[in-house]
Amino acid sequence: MNLAATRRAGTAPELLQQAADAVGAVEALLAEAAAEQRARLAPDGKLSMARFDREQHAVHGLAWLATYVEALRQLSAYAGRIAEAGRLGPTEEMLVRAGLGEYLAQVFGGIPMSQSEFVRLPALGLDEERIEARRTPAVKALIADGTAPELRARLIEAIAAQEGAAGAGDPGLDETLKAMRNEMRRFAEAEVVPHAHGWHLRNEYIPLATIEKMSALGVFALTIPEQFGGLGLGKEYMCVVSEELSRGYIGVGSLGTRSEIAAELILSGGTPAQQQKWLPKIASGECLPTAVFTEPNTGSDLASLKTRAVREGGVYRIYGAKTWITHPVRADLMTLLVRTDPKQPGYQGLSMLLAEKPRGSDADPFPAPGMSGGEIEVLGYRGMKEFEIGFDGFEVPVENLLGGVEGQGFKQLMQTFEAARIQTAARAVGVAQSALELALRYAKERVQFGKPILSFPRVADKIVSMATEIMIARQLTYHAAREKDLGRRCDLEAGMAKLLAARVAWAAADNAVQIHGGNGFALEYPVSRVLCDARILSIFEGAAEIQAQVIARRLLDGSN
Amino acid sequence: MKVLVPVKRVVDFNVKVRVKPDGTGVDLANVKMSMNPFDEIAVEEAIRLKEQGKASEIVCVSIGPAQAAETIRTALAMGADRGILVKHDDTVEPLAVAKILKAVVDAEKPGLVILGKQAIDDDCNQTGQMLAALLGWPQGTFASKITIESDAIQVTREVDGGLQTVKLKMPTVVTTDLRLNEPRYASLPNIMKAKKKPIEDKTPADYGVEVAPRLKVLKTTEPAGRKAGVKVGSPAELVDKLKSAGVL
Repeated sequence: MNLAATRRAGTAPELLQQAADAVGAVEALLAEAAAEQRARLAPDGKLSMARFDREQHAVHGLAWLATYVEALRQLSAYAGRIAEAGRLGPTEEMLVRAGLGEYLAQVFGGIPMSQSEFVRLPALGLDEERIEARRTPAVKALIADGTAPELRARLIEAIAAQEGAAGAGDPGLDETLKAMRNEMRRFAEAEVVPHAHGWHLRNEYIPLATIEKMSALGVFALTIPEQFGGLGLGKEYMCVVSEELSRGYIGVGSLGTRSEIAAELILSGGTPAQQQKWLPKIASGECLPTAVFTEPNTGSDLASLKTRAVREGGVYRIYGAKTWITHPVRADLMTLLVRTDPKQPGYQGLSMLLAEKPRGSDADPFPAPGMSGGEIEVLGYRGMKEFEIGFDGFEVPVENLLGGVEGQGFKQLMQTFEAARIQTAARAVGVAQSALELALRYAKERVQFGKPILSFPRVADKIVSMATEIMIARQLTYHAAREKDLGRRCDLEAGMAKLLAARVAWAAADNAVQIHGGNGFALEYPVSRVLCDARILSIFEGAAEIQAQVIARRLLDGSN
Repeated sequence: MKVLVPVKRVVDFNVKVRVKPDGTGVDLANVKMSMNPFDEIAVEEAIRLKEQGKASEIVCVSIGPAQAAETIRTALAMGADRGILVKHDDTVEPLAVAKILKAVVDAEKPGLVILGKQAIDDDCNQTGQMLAALLGWPQGTFASKITIESDAIQVTREVDGGLQTVKLKMPTVVTTDLRLNEPRYASLPNIMKAKKKPIEDKTPADYGVEVAPRLKVLKTTEPAGRKAGVKVGSPAELVDKLKSAGVL
């Protein structure tokens, strides 16, 4: 590290002070950019949706800027917290420096919304003078320090030395969460990692025996209240468990997603009888749910959903087509979004049904009258299998209408978005972590030009950047989870965590393949699977563009 | 019958340890620490005895720094009932550990002490034997199977060249080998329950044991790196090489 940078960077307390100053500067920048956008899109105080859609680059750019500001805020909050606990070791401090430096540099230089779209501050209506005013001495110092090659060189040494530890850097968890992470990692290392690649290559289901072991460990009971047989724990616990299981295999980390969505739906929208009936079975893993929302012509735009539920006496008969249904064959319960009122074409006509179904098999996937379907073969995210499903008179008893009142479906579903996005962000962090570990191991073992390729800075830099971004995404995810646990509205934080973590996971997987060279392109190597698995993360549970749209709307008019 | 299980906090088996540049020891800063795997097997065996109704209470004891409480907590999450942490920050040698354990045994009066045959950090393989000697108890070391009969215990020992089964009078000390069992995962509910289980804080002084090391570590070095071998072109060449090396 050069002397000037050392002097500017200073000690840990100085770092925390600089971080606080820099966060203040980018918060001000965000406020100015938001004001500019508001003036442009809502000249008379009311948001013009036509302009909003036309200006998507700037609008979504604003969402990304806000995400970066939150990321920087959470990274420095993390640094402050663990410094206070006396746990800010050299690795953690370097990760914080690298994270602050890189993300600040991107705020001022251009934030990648994807690999090919960069949002730059002038596009948000800020002129050079105002941008320059926010490039404070603290910002400049942090960028110079955090992006210096010397820092990366020392950081890769620390990361390489900690291989086999629970990840690069102390994630800042308490003892109980740490214990849970350890046990989940032990489980995944022994029961998941050795098999995941085979399951993927053969497009096999995750064995029921594995799911039973997860049930016995309490994975599905985690966030369900104790009165319903759960552990009554918060979303931060869910994050740690999902992260570790997804690090083993995304499919295993995703088994809990459907349970989480169903449990959230039933907890927040169900009648006491429905809660009594379903929640204990979901908690014990006896009931595997699946989420049946998407239709062939209805992805992100759920209000246009067509599948009909026609009431005939004591039952609803379901007619219509659903698609992208994950794990439906072995599921016992469908949370099925349908239109109960055809006169209401928008959100108001939608209802959620708790539709029971028998488990099927590959030979007979849907052994129920009025239900049929076919598998959608996919690149990655296997182990549960994706299906399109046709309903033609499939019966659901009227008492299985969630909450007992029609027309609440969309509202009920919205209430699960926060938890589902936080969980998805955690899955993304886990996938990114597995990419990092595969890349690191390979880079240490692969010898070219007489030395391990890890000693080449372009290889090492990729791993440093993975470790840094994973720590940022992890802290942002935990933050959203803690907000949720405090009972606060956190759709914004959850959306940001999911948006960023998904991009981080894809970048990590892509770079891990790059480090593997030709071997990474070979199906034989697990990193080829991680690449396929990572790709889904910025598509499902709110595509990156939709996520940015939702965040931007919240920022600009406080609505959804 | 009460079972006492001593557990040690060691560098995790996945971690590649690094020698400190000044050669004074191994670098433990920022290194993941876990329960000694052989002790994990001991905890598992004790829990199985309890599940079979052969043990009534499992007490875990660890001698080490404050963080060793986490190791005890892991044992409690697996199924042990309570813990004792004998706090000491510096190196403790096997004899000192055995003396402390003897004092704990005197206080707790277990019918069985089961512990790892060795710790994976210093590989001493002494504590169990020393403890048995201090107590004047029989010992069954390197156990790959144990069966409790009313007042005796059958221990199958992994010895050079095979298995040896011994019958020992209780109370006794058993040290575990790798094949005794496969330790369970602590379930998430049990991790939560473990938070409420008691851990008693003690110091070596409470037991009147002097723990100052009797050995001095002069130097710690990395093992010498392996040198590259030679490729031979044919079996005949191999035989020649072996002959010239004097092995044939």
